[in-house]
Amino acid sequence: MNLSLYQDKDTWIHRLDPRTKITGIILIFAMCLCFNDPIYIAILTLGVLFILFFARSLKSLWTLRYILILLFLFSMIIWPFFVKGKTVWLCIKGFYIHKESILYAIAMGLRLSTFVMAGMILISTTKNEDITNGLIMMGLPYPIAFAISTALRLVPTFAGAGATIVQAQISRGLDLESKNIFKRFSKFIPFAVPIFIIAIRYTNLLSMALESRGFSPASPRTMYRRPYMKKNDWIVLISLLIVFVIILYIRIFLQAGIVIKDRL
Amino acid sequence: MGIAIKIDSLHFKYRSASKDSLANINSEIKEGNFVVIFGHGGAGKTTLCFSMNGLIPRFLHGEMKGNVFVKNKKTTDYRINEMAKTVGLVFQDFEAQLFCSNVELEVAFGLENLCLNIEEMEERIKKYIDFVGLLEKRKAQTSSLSGGQKQRLAIGAVLAMEPDVVVMDEPTTDLDPIGKNHILSISQMLRNKKRTLVMVDTDYEVAMDADYVWLMKDGEVVIKDSPRQVLTNLDLLKSCGVMVPQTLEFFKKMGWEEMPLNSKETIMHIKENHPEIIVPHRTLKINRKPVGSEKGIIETKDLYFRYPSSPDDILKNLNLKIYEGEIVAILGQNGSGKTTLAKHFNRLLRPTSGEVLIKGRKTTDYKQHELARIVGYVFQNPDHQIFSSTVWDEVAFGLKMLGEDEKNIKKNTEEAIFVTGLTGYENKSPFLLTKGERQRVAFASILSIKPEVIVLDEPTTGLDYAHQISAMNMLKELNNKGRTIVIITHSMWIAEQFATRVIIMKDGIIIADGPTRDIFFDEDVLKEASLVPSQIVRVSNWLKTQSLSVDELVEELKGESFSVSR
Repeated sequence: MNLSLYQDKDTWIHRLDPRTKITGIILIFAMCLCFNDPIYIAILTLGVLFILFFARSLKSLWTLRYILILLFLFSMIIWPFFVKGKTVWLCIKGFYIHKESILYAIAMGLRLSTFVMAGMILISTTKNEDITNGLIMMGLPYPIAFAISTALRLVPTFAGAGATIVQAQISRGLDLESKNIFKRFSKFIPFAVPIFIIAIRYTNLLSMALESRGFSPASPRTMYRRPYMKKNDWIVLISLLIVFVIILYIRIFLQAGIVIKDRL
Repeated sequence: MGIAIKIDSLHFKYRSASKDSLANINSEIKEGNFVVIFGHGGAGKTTLCFSMNGLIPRFLHGEMKGNVFVKNKKTTDYRINEMAKTVGLVFQDFEAQLFCSNVELEVAFGLENLCLNIEEMEERIKKYIDFVGLLEKRKAQTSSLSGGQKQRLAIGAVLAMEPDVVVMDEPTTDLDPIGKNHILSISQMLRNKKRTLVMVDTDYEVAMDADYVWLMKDGEVVIKDSPRQVLTNLDLLKSCGVMVPQTLEFFKKMGWEEMPLNSKETIMHIKENHPEIIVPHRTLKINRKPVGSEKGIIETKDLYFRYPSSPDDILKNLNLKIYEGEIVAILGQNGSGKTTLAKHFNRLLRPTSGEVLIKGRKTTDYKQHELARIVGYVFQNPDHQIFSSTVWDEVAFGLKMLGEDEKNIKKNTEEAIFVTGLTGYENKSPFLLTKGERQRVAFASILSIKPEVIVLDEPTTGLDYAHQISAMNMLKELNNKGRTIVIITHSMWIAEQFATRVIIMKDGIIIADGPTRDIFFDEDVLKEASLVPSQIVRVSNWLKTQSLSVDELVEELKGESFSVSR
């Protein structure tokens, strides 16, 4: 079973320079930080979904659906406790629920999910090697760039190992069907120990294999797929910049897109 | 010709180990030679490979005495990545050594480290991807490759760096016979190019083409000689825990002098010198009745399966009935759906459509813990399940989970530990055991639950011959006591000697299913699934005899001549 999030397609988004995509994602992150009105953020979310659609990568979104839902729900529950608004909607036994805090909570949920989805654009459309190369050409030291891309690469590997471990323990009678959440938590050890052991063994082997193929983080190396900026890259970057400037204008000069002032 | 590798009174002891892993190794390998290293598990074969590119002692620490020179470079004077230009090492675990996203990038990785420019890289990538026969897979994602293709890619990625010496650690263990032949032809091509090749393997068929065979035992090289000299020394092979060439053993037991190393030679010798055993009208009698009882225990009906995220069916319309008391071997290439099918037997996977019945009841109607008592599933890699601090706890875990009382836990755990030969290990940490021992712990932990059916995924990979035999005998013993056994395997001789029934899968369908003798007689069907019978069964097929192992064949032929002379 392939757990990797990379979608091996050939769309114009796949063909963009990794530097464009990394910069673009950072710009999208920044845009999300400009608003805290759910409607405004929802427009950005839609935009990101469109990009994913054009990158033919909605599938990887489906893989991560639980994480996205969890992020959203979590922020819906947490934020109303910390942010107070003005308009009271409900009052239960002296506990007030404000309209603004609910809206803010929705906005934050959307914002977090949009962060993840924007990250998905990068991961679903860019080969790991290209991310490494892009980061290096943006001036990151090689060991750091390599560490980042390796971490990304290992996620599906360990997810796969994790799935096998769950199956192996279920086969010996570990009962995951019981509803009691505390009981379930105590059954964590049979999963945690093997995954740590596997992770340690695997990374050890990986580093042996890397060095045996002549790799050393300190030594110079060439790039088989050296990225270069094309016309499309500049078009994407400039349009994103224009959008970002417009958004800054809306937020700073029009003071729109905010439900709670003095907060990001 | 110059010297490629010189090993000078090499000793090595791992930091935590109590005894030497390598002891007093003195050897030279000439340029352009092909050396195959044999030995039992834990004999130090892998350690020796690691010492040739400096992983020992630079990465894996310990006490090292003596020197290793590769092309006059002393391994301890260079960093591992510098040695990589001279020595290419292919690891045993091919999953961990492939870390790039597609085939061409995997090959490019080493070349980038050599700082080649784009044109040179392009040229070598093309050349070596073609060399290992993956040209049409050039842009394919690494994860989409089959086991054999991955192994070939790992080899190609090392070869592309054009090292003077290539070291391969068990490159053929996880492969089916056709995949194995592919690797062998690669080694042949390397030889023609005068590259030095060192290969560790457990299969003697690999060794036939070598210039030298080294036999290792307990960290020492006990003999270095031509393949024929080493392989015909049956007593020495046996004492080193290595599988003896079947055809040799056959001739020896028949009291014949010739020393055939494979089925071809055997048939030639029989034609020339022992034509009396060729009986033209001999016909193969096949017992078509199922060996087990009439009672079905596992049944699949119109079973289809696909992963939710994938458009392709992995299992296509499988209808299968496994009877109580059978030993069923499921064979087929990597990716043919064997494991996917087996995981349906205890509902680790649920059918996309169709159903799986255990004792006449749908798996989806059982509670998971009820199924665990009927069908035990032993995973290929014991490290996926071991977590306890003692062997006892590990084996008793399943029983505790199923809520057995203290008395039963004690009784069943003791029994499982005894049956798997782990007595005396109860209080040891499973993490400190060898791979073979860990595998037995994993097996014991399923056995203690006393399931009626035991499914084993590749129970013998990573084990040496002696351990394979003992593991299989243990299963046979359990089968005699009424358990049904299902094994997924790549090893032909294990299926031949131990299974009562063989199922062959290809691309998600069953292409053959029947009594073992029947299936192994039909070499065309086997070939369709990239399988080839073992040497002795090839001889047996040619003779049209019933036998599936050396001992059976000797007995059958002697019995025949006895009845003829009478």
